[in-house]
Amino acid sequence: MSPDPVIVGGGPAAISAAIELAQHGVRSTLLEEASRLGGVVYRGPLREGVELDYLGERYKDALHKLHAEFADIAHSVDVRLNHRVVGGQGEHSLQVLDPDERLQEVGFGQLLLGAGCHERSVPFPGWTIPGVIMLGGLQLQIKSGVVKPRGPTLIVGTGPLLMLVACQLHAAGVEVAGVYEACEFTRIAKESLALLNQPQLFLDGLSMLMYLKRHGVTVRYGWGVVQARGDGELSEVIVAPYSDTWQPDLSKAQPVMARTLAVGYGFIPRTQLTQQMGLDHAYNVDGYLAVKADTWQRSNQPHIHLAGDVTGMRGGEAAMLTGRIAALSILLQRGVLSEKQARAQRRVYLSRLNTIVRFRGAIDRYTQRGTRQIELPQADTVVCRCENVTRADIDLALSQGVQDMASLKMRTRVSMGDCQGRMCVGYCSDRLRESTGRQDVGWLRPRFPLEPVPFSAFTNACKDA
Amino acid sequence: MDDLNRQYDIQPLIKADMSILINGQAVNAAKGETVLSVLNAVGVRQLSPNDHGEMNGAYCGMGVCYCCLVKIDGRHKRRACQTLVQPGMSVETGTNRVTAQEAVL
Repeated sequence: MSPDPVIVGGGPAAISAAIELAQHGVRSTLLEEASRLGGVVYRGPLREGVELDYLGERYKDALHKLHAEFADIAHSVDVRLNHRVVGGQGEHSLQVLDPDERLQEVGFGQLLLGAGCHERSVPFPGWTIPGVIMLGGLQLQIKSGVVKPRGPTLIVGTGPLLMLVACQLHAAGVEVAGVYEACEFTRIAKESLALLNQPQLFLDGLSMLMYLKRHGVTVRYGWGVVQARGDGELSEVIVAPYSDTWQPDLSKAQPVMARTLAVGYGFIPRTQLTQQMGLDHAYNVDGYLAVKADTWQRSNQPHIHLAGDVTGMRGGEAAMLTGRIAALSILLQRGVLSEKQARAQRRVYLSRLNTIVRFRGAIDRYTQRGTRQIELPQADTVVCRCENVTRADIDLALSQGVQDMASLKMRTRVSMGDCQGRMCVGYCSDRLRESTGRQDVGWLRPRFPLEPVPFSAFTNACKDA
Repeated sequence: MDDLNRQYDIQPLIKADMSILINGQAVNAAKGETVLSVLNAVGVRQLSPNDHGEMNGAYCGMGVCYCCLVKIDGRHKRRACQTLVQPGMSVETGTNRVTAQEAVL
């Protein structure tokens, strides 16, 4: 028998896959970088004795259901928390940093990659001031950290997460200075029919709006961030009406007093590992790279599966279903299920997934990013924080004829620092695509190790050699 | 020195499992918390200057951006958001070995 399937990630995709495998008697090994399972969405509070009422009933139920279902089968999963996959060289093993920061090799027969996504960082003047944080990161602090940001807290960005976080902040006792959604309300209204594919979520959206209205929280559609200001820490944010291409109308710009600014203009799949493993990728219309999966969630290497947001942004519920489908494929490959059995079960998951995909399509359409937001940074605004590269440096490189990400990196040092470009890749890619008119301008090519590791990590590896 | 107060907890810490030091001041913490959560709970947001001397605060909050680097138990550049508290742990903010050495040179 080949080694147990290995699952990378600990979010809804990974957990659901492990559950599906275990329910068919197949053990798996799960590698998760965090100290708890659940991913960013379903991690739950990090400390004990917390009542999650401030997060809403539906979230509480979903959280408990997922963790309870996993607890039932946990004995068939070798869960390795605080393990970071830092390399995927070769087709049958991963390089993993254990909690003691030693490198290990983990072999696999089949692999499921569910690395998820990170947030899209949008540079604007003042975005590096302490107090400016990303929306999902702020939500994680509320949900798992059980700590609130300093108020007043202002929320800017696009998509349903804005209203949800605003409600959670308010319920947690934080003064919300306002919610500024970049897209026009009419664009959301136009999608009503498609949004009704998930009637409960649609209703939740409306009731969140009503909650904010009832509590006097300013909600503005077609407005966005222009600048953050503050001496040492954030004290003021300038917002302005955005056109349908997200060009701010500076003649109508207004200051808003805020100690915390949460910025949420979308997400980017984490493709560092999938790229390093040489899997097939494609560009999404949202301007990010995603790894390609077929209807069994297989990559172009059939024993390597993909689930969740790493194949494109569809959210936690879809991640659970794609995780399940990937598990069915693994069960089929291992001869545990017949083709007929696997197909029958997949049909059930696919029909639920299709409903979500139709709903998601509506969200993608109304949250479609305006192309003019890339003009927010001024010449001296830092774009790559790690290497202190400004917009002027990027402008110069583009004017000198740089046409792809690799050349921009060599010319300016963007992406060569600690974060390996995860924060500036969105902006750099947008600028390159606009300047060249091409869809494919390359993406950051990750190298081993995928994140900084101490030299001491290699002492094990060297001893073995 | 006075202990630090946890002013930003959404729900009070029912049981402090341990105490850690933030810049020499004691603060209560619970098992499972991250260093970043404790820093947020006491309201410390200016974490450390980066290698270019710019003061950083936490930004992505999930281990991706490397903006919440602090010195932990003598080790530089540890991600506050990815490090769990341990009894007696010492956390220092405001330090950066690279900029400090360059200032000397």
